[in-house]
Parts: sequence; structure tokens; C-alpha cells
Amino acid sequence: MKKLVITILFLLCVIPVIAQDTTKEKDSIEILEEVQISKHVKKKIETDLKMAVSVDEFLASSTAISFIKRGAYAWEPLLNNMGAERATITIDGMHVFGACTDKMDPITAYVESNNLAAVDVKSGQEGGLNGATVAGSIDLKRKASTFSMQEQWKGAYQTGFEFNNQQLFNLGNVSYANSKWVAEGSISYRKADDYSDGNNTEVAHSQYTKINSSLGFAYKTSPLASVRVDAIFDEAKNVGYPALPMDLWLSRALITSATYKQLFEKGLVKVWDTKVYFNTIEHYMDDTTRPENLVHMDMPGWSTTYGLLSKINIRKNNVASEIQLNAYNNLSIAEMRMYPQDRSERTMFAYSWPWVTTRYAGLSMNNSLDIAEYSELTFGGSLGINYNRSKYIDFNWIFNPGAPQEKTRLLPSLHAGYNVTVKQFNFAVGAGYGHRAPSVSEGYGYYIYNSFDRYDYVGNPNLKNEISYEGNAAASFSSKKLTVQAKVNYFYIQNYIIGRILSLGSPMNYQSVGVKGYTSLDYATLFNFSMNASYAITENLHWKGTLAYARGLDNDGGNLPFIRPLSYQTSLHYKYKAFGFQTAFSGDLEQQHYSPLYGEDLTPAYSILNFSADYSFRIKDFKTVLQVGAENVLNQYYSTYADWGNIPRMGRNIFTSLQIKF
Amino acid sequence: MKIFNLLLGVVLATVVTSCTLEKTDYEAELSEVATDEYVFEQAFLLTSNGYQISVEVLNGTFYKGYNEIHLFITDENNETVQNATVTFLPIRLDANEDAYSCPHAYEVGYQADNQYYLGYAVFDEVSNTNATWEFYLTVTIANETFTLQHGVTVASQPNLNLNMTSFTGNNGVQYYIALIAPVSPGVSENELIAGIYQYNEPQVPIGNFPDPTQFSFSEVQGATLLLDPRMPEPSMGNHSSPNNEDLTQGSDGLYYGVVNYTMTGNWTLNFIFQNEGGAVIKGTEVPTDFTPGITGEKSELHIDILF
Ligand SMILES: [Cu+2]
Repeated sequence: MKKLVITILFLLCVIPVIAQDTTKEKDSIEILEEVQISKHVKKKIETDLKMAVSVDEFLASSTAISFIKRGAYAWEPLLNNMGAERATITIDGMHVFGACTDKMDPITAYVESNNLAAVDVKSGQEGGLNGATVAGSIDLKRKASTFSMQEQWKGAYQTGFEFNNQQLFNLGNVSYANSKWVAEGSISYRKADDYSDGNNTEVAHSQYTKINSSLGFAYKTSPLASVRVDAIFDEAKNVGYPALPMDLWLSRALITSATYKQLFEKGLVKVWDTKVYFNTIEHYMDDTTRPENLVHMDMPGWSTTYGLLSKINIRKNNVASEIQLNAYNNLSIAEMRMYPQDRSERTMFAYSWPWVTTRYAGLSMNNSLDIAEYSELTFGGSLGINYNRSKYIDFNWIFNPGAPQEKTRLLPSLHAGYNVTVKQFNFAVGAGYGHRAPSVSEGYGYYIYNSFDRYDYVGNPNLKNEISYEGNAAASFSSKKLTVQAKVNYFYIQNYIIGRILSLGSPMNYQSVGVKGYTSLDYATLFNFSMNASYAITENLHWKGTLAYARGLDNDGGNLPFIRPLSYQTSLHYKYKAFGFQTAFSGDLEQQHYSPLYGEDLTPAYSILNFSADYSFRIKDFKTVLQVGAENVLNQYYSTYADWGNIPRMGRNIFTSLQIKF
Repeated sequence: MKIFNLLLGVVLATVVTSCTLEKTDYEAELSEVATDEYVFEQAFLLTSNGYQISVEVLNGTFYKGYNEIHLFITDENNETVQNATVTFLPIRLDANEDAYSCPHAYEVGYQADNQYYLGYAVFDEVSNTNATWEFYLTVTIANETFTLQHGVTVASQPNLNLNMTSFTGNNGVQYYIALIAPVSPGVSENELIAGIYQYNEPQVPIGNFPDPTQFSFSEVQGATLLLDPRMPEPSMGNHSSPNNEDLTQGSDGLYYGVVNYTMTGNWTLNFIFQNEGGAVIKGTEVPTDFTPGITGEKSELHIDILF
């Protein structure tokens, strides 16, 4: 770690010196922005209420995204009420796979808000550009400063304290740009103790420490081309998971990439963007902090991925296309090491991921055709080959005798949408079709303990592709003062993969009550509805509201797990001179459609009131914002439908933060 | 640019290569169990009547449990003798000089393919002050018969996967079950091979020592050994595994089944021993309850293994 920090500092000092003598020339890269095809919204990393948010808090502010929470740290994002195995979650298009069998480490855990520029969320097959998906895609866009005609230094520093869990954070980032070079880096440190719930009871094992740093260098090789190398290093230590029987002792990720980008002034192709990447994650769970456990157990995991993506953007007349090639190779390894009570005895050992390789190569395409000034047709598709190999297939044979060691699948996808604007109204309809391959756990997992339903899960290499048929529609109205938008989508998912109780075998983890095997339901359906509205009451007083509803059913009409009940949020924002005031009221209704079969119980309704105030001023040339606020002002005791083990959420939390930009 | 790539490369290389916790070398761990017992080596050499008899067992050592025994018989010209008739009788003497034997192949037949005489012995006791083992061999070559006697040492079985048990069935017969395979099991489906033997009470009065009729053992025919593998460690809650197959007799007289080990560690093979007619001779059913925190219940007929 020390080495890395020193190197960052060193590089940051060295670059400007070397770069000084470069001649200034016309900057084409700066001018030519990437051709954007689809009209989805890219959100900036900041919520309305809180300016110093974590990545999780930020994502939570999107209506398409909800979370499974196992503690205070690293929430698992659900897109359209579907988990990570059904969505593609990428960092600048790069695939990164978590190394935790218990899903403690969604990819969003390996970035920090000060090295992200935006999060790009696409729903359904429209999100198939980066690989096969059912739910859609979440692409975390890293900050990338542009070349600058004048030498330019930029930076920001943010610090804050949250009182509930004594969270202290310090985030800093700095960038240098001239006409030839860009160099930037960020570093952040967060440390939190256990949080307290609405009854002011401390939730044991909810502490965490996280260090994240990133580095990026870009060099303009010609007026129309540039090379960029990036690296993110993330380390989390002593992360408690109150809902799990063990904690994270250490997790480390190194995410690297090199990108070559070429712009073209003439011709069909406008941009060619190629990236090679490599990332590696180590994740060590143990239960040394849980003396109450009967068994001492270590569960280390490793995930290494390298890949390539290459994209061209084409524009001719009224047609714009994005064509992308994706290829990656991942090796996932996870071990279980159990120590008998008599430590002199041999340890017990098994692989929960028996060295599973996943290789994917696919070509995807998105097109948009402007039919008239006010209407647009989008269509596209992809074709991918997915290959899996389990090195120690013996483990998988215990439950699936004779299953093939290698399996190759073809993953096609198609989607189309039509969008028309009539005066102040906009209407959109779309449809999609796509396959996805089972995840490593679904295909090759071995006794992976799920503390939500308390079953050990085993994978099945013979699972069929999950096939999604999807329809969506949206309507919106916007005027100067009022905007209203409603969106619906419906997924009919064939061969829906889910864990079912096996009559075979017996649990391995001592907290477990039985064994579930991943199997395919004939089908399942998922319906999502959301509505947003905003209204400018006066110039300085704005109102916003959202409403979301979802329903998921299996082929017997039973409820699917982790489907959010009707949820709402309403917020007011008032600006007075350099002051801003925000208040938000949000909650879920009672979760009536819970799934006892998958370990869910009825979660009661809850509502939360938040408040914050900020003041912007200048210290010399520095733009400074000071913010104070409170979340869960009424100190409600609650847990949500997706909280594992009904672990209560944080009670009243007063937060303060200071941001300085230059 | 090159400098940066280089520097970055160095940084990455140091971070990447330094994996904090080493991965388990699973293959090495499995092979650690069966050290070098794969090789047959000479245990001892006898010379008599101009013939040499070399006795080979795995590792050159006799262990408690099942031992496959190879006899190489050569004449003065160092040529293999192919048409000898060989009988074999292992005898154990206790401190009172009382004699016992153990399951063994009395008639040792010639294997033309391998050029040796093949036999076996299932030693049920380790050599100690109360157990002295001796081999008695009778060899007949071209109407010439000679008898040989040689003391051997039986070591304790280092590989619990080749463990054995002996018991008296509820029909009063003395039985022996010895594991033969897997020598080095994996976390996988393993073919389980066992020998099942019984002691035949002598039907005739005692003759001259050592009288083979007094030490008669035979392979049990047509029985079934119901199998229920468990992990008895308290932390494992008497965990079991799926897709196991009971042991039934193969054409070579040994018993074949399938055992699945879901992880490495201590396992108990719980058995219910049924005769040809399906009547239970020994063994009790183990409850299927998952019992974390308690040492797992075992059948009254079981063999503990470890890998
Ligand atoms: Cu984990």
C-alpha cells in the first residue's frame, strides 16, 4: 500500500515536468464528444439530499435500482428487482466479478464516489451492449478529465463525519491537464464503527474501513487519438456483516485498463475506442470475530478477469450505430476451510467455487434511426458465446453426477424501441428478447450458505439458458414548471433460475437447515412500474415525487423473493441566496407479496424523514460547500424487505460535510 | 509514455503477485494421504530347496487391514516357477501362545500375466507384546513339498481410508470388513471397495499345528452392505452426502459401492450388514437429523476414515 501511495505521488509530480515542452495544438478530442446513441439519463454522483454520498447511497436514489443490504457496507444493487447475476454491472464497460460467494462484494463496492463521474443505467435488453443480460446494465463511469489547451489543475477535497456510526471520511482528487497530457488521481478513506438502530441499540458487526485510490494518465498520440491507462486500488478491512455468520477480514481489488481512442473527422466511423483490461480481487472472510460460532471457518475467494472491448461509433445521415466487441476471461475460486474443535485434527476443506472459468465473447450493436424530427426508432442486438469450465468438476458431480466439465452456450439478444414526441408529450414503447448464462454460483457453486433463507446452495452445470421476453412503455409530460413521467416494463423469463429444496444431501454449514439446488422454473414474470414528477412551485422552491411498484410471480403464481413493495419518495428543495434546504420523506408500504418459500417474512411498512441544509461560499478561489443534515430524523426502527435477517436499518444519523473545489 | 507504462507495470506487478492468503494446493493435499504406498516392495526373501521366494507388499510393510501379497518364486537358474502349489497361513500368537489367524487367501494362485502368486491377508491386530505374527507357507513344486515359516511385523495402518473392523454378527459368526479402495479419495464420487470375510468354525478335531482347518476364513457371499457416510465432527452436525450406493458383491468376490465425500476431513462410514436373504446381521440406522454441536451418532457397525 505504502509503495502505491508513494508511486502515485511520484507520478503526479513527474508528469507536469516531462509534459511541459509539448507544443500546443488544436484539441480535437476535447471538442468531439462521444456520440451518444440512446437517450438514457446518466446520473451524476450526488443525490439531491446529500452531496457526500457513497456509491450505494447514490444508486439508491434511482427508481430502477433497489438494494439487498447485509450491513452498512457494499449493498447489492437490484436492477428492475433483479440481482447481479441477471444484470451486467461494469466499470467503463469492463467486467469485474466479485470474489465473494456470499455476494458481499458487488462491483459497486470497488469504486468510490470521488473517482466516478456518472452511473449509466439501462433497463432490459437495451443494456446488452456490454454483454448478455436480462435485467439491464449498470455501467459505472470513471472520471476522465479532458485535454486542455491551457495547463489546468483541478481538484476537490471532501471531508465529513456521520454521527450515528462515527463514520469519518476524507476524499481527495486532483487532476492535471494540458494539450498533450492528462494525469489524475484520487484517494479516499472511510472508517465507520457499528451503527445504531432506531431503538438506539448498537448493531454488532456493522463496522467497516475502506481505502480507495485511483490513477489515470492520458497522452494524446496525435490530434485525433489518445492513449489512456487507468488503475483503481481498493482495500476494505474489518468489514462487519451483521446479517451473515462471518465478516470480511480483508478484501483487495486492483482494476486496471489501457484504452486507445481514435476519432475520425471524415467517413462513416466517427470514433474507435479499444480497451484491454485486467482486474483481480482477493476476498477473505472469516469468523474469528464471532466467538459464539461453533466452528471456526475461513472462506477465502479470488476472482481474476482480463478482457478486451472495442467499440466503433458510426453515423450516416439519420442513422447512428454503436458496435461493440466484448471478450473476457474470468477465473473464480472460493474455498471453505473448517477447523475442527480439536485444532490438532486436520482441517476440513472444500471448494465453494471449484476453479470456475468463464469465457465470453460477443458482438453487440445499438442503432438509432431518426424517422422524423420528433420520432426515433432504436434497435439492436447481440450474439455472444459463453464458455464455462469447472477444474474440479468432481465437486459438482456429487450433486450432478456426470455433468459436463465444459459447457458452451450461445447467447443471442434483440431489442427495438420507438420514441415519439408530440408537443409536450413523449411516448416510448419497446420490446426485447435475450438469453443469459447461469452465474458461477448458479452453475458451479458448492454448499454456498445463504443466511437469508438459511439454506446451503449447490449449482447445476446443466441449467438451461434463462430466456427473457420483455416489453416496456413510457409516457411523459413536461412543461416549464411540471414534468411527469410514468414507466412500465414486464419481463416473462423462461427457465427462471432459482434455488429449490433438494431431497438429497444434508447441510454443511452448521447454521443451515437444508440444501437447495439451483433449478429452472418453467417461467417467472416480473412487472415494474414507476412514476416521477417534479414541480417548480416558485423559482426557488421545487418539489419532486416518485412512486414505484413491482410484482414478481413464479409459474405457480407464488411470489418471487426480493421484490420491492410499493415505495414512495417526496422531497422539497428550497434555495435562498447561498443557502439550500432539502427535506425528503420516503418509505415502503407493507410487503404483502412476500415469499415464505424463499425465507421471506412480512415486512411492515415504514417511512423515513430526512433533512439537510447547505451553505456555499468562497475561501479565496476555492468553491466551498458546507452541509449538515439528518437522516431518519424521527429515529424510526425499521428494516426493509431486502434486509437480510431483518437486520434493522440505521436510526437517526446526523451528518456533516465540507467540500472544497479548485 | 514508456516510463509511465513501465512504472505502472512495476506497481501492478508487485500488487498482483502478492496474494495475501495462499490458495490451497488441493491436489497436493489429496496425494499427501497416500504417501508412497503405491509401490510393491519386497518385505522379505526366503530360500529353501534351491528356490527363492520373494514376498512383496505395498511399501514393503505389512499394515493392519487389507494387504495384497505377491509371491515371486524362482529356481536356481533364476527362472520363474509357474506351476507351484502354494498355501498360505498367517498365524498370530498372543502372550499365552494361543494361536489365531485372520482372513487370508489360503490357496495362492499363479497370475501368468504378472508372473507372481497372488494372495492377501487382512491383519486384525498390530504386532505387539501380545500379538506376534508368523507366516506359514507350504510350497509344492514337481511333487516336492516344503514348508516355510517366517515372522513378520504388522504396522498400524497410516491411511485411515484402508481401515478395517471386525465384529460378531447377531448370528454368532465372526466377520471382518476391510476397506480396499479408494486409497486416496477425493471430494467427489469415489468407488468404494471392501472385502467382507467370515471365520468358519472348525468342523474337525485339531490336527498338527498349524492346522489350516482350525483357521478357515472365507469371503462372505451375496451379502449387502448398506452405506451411510457422515461427518461426525460436532461442527458438522453429522452431515451426510447424496448419491451414495450400497456395496454389493462383484465377480471377484469383493464388494463394490459408491461413496461421495463432500469435503475433506473426518468421515464415518456407517453400515448395515445384511445377508443374502436381506436379514440384518449387524448395524443400526443413523438418524438423518442435522445435529450441530453434538458428536454425530454412528451405526453400531461403522468404519472411521480421514482424508
Ligand atoms: Cu464475502
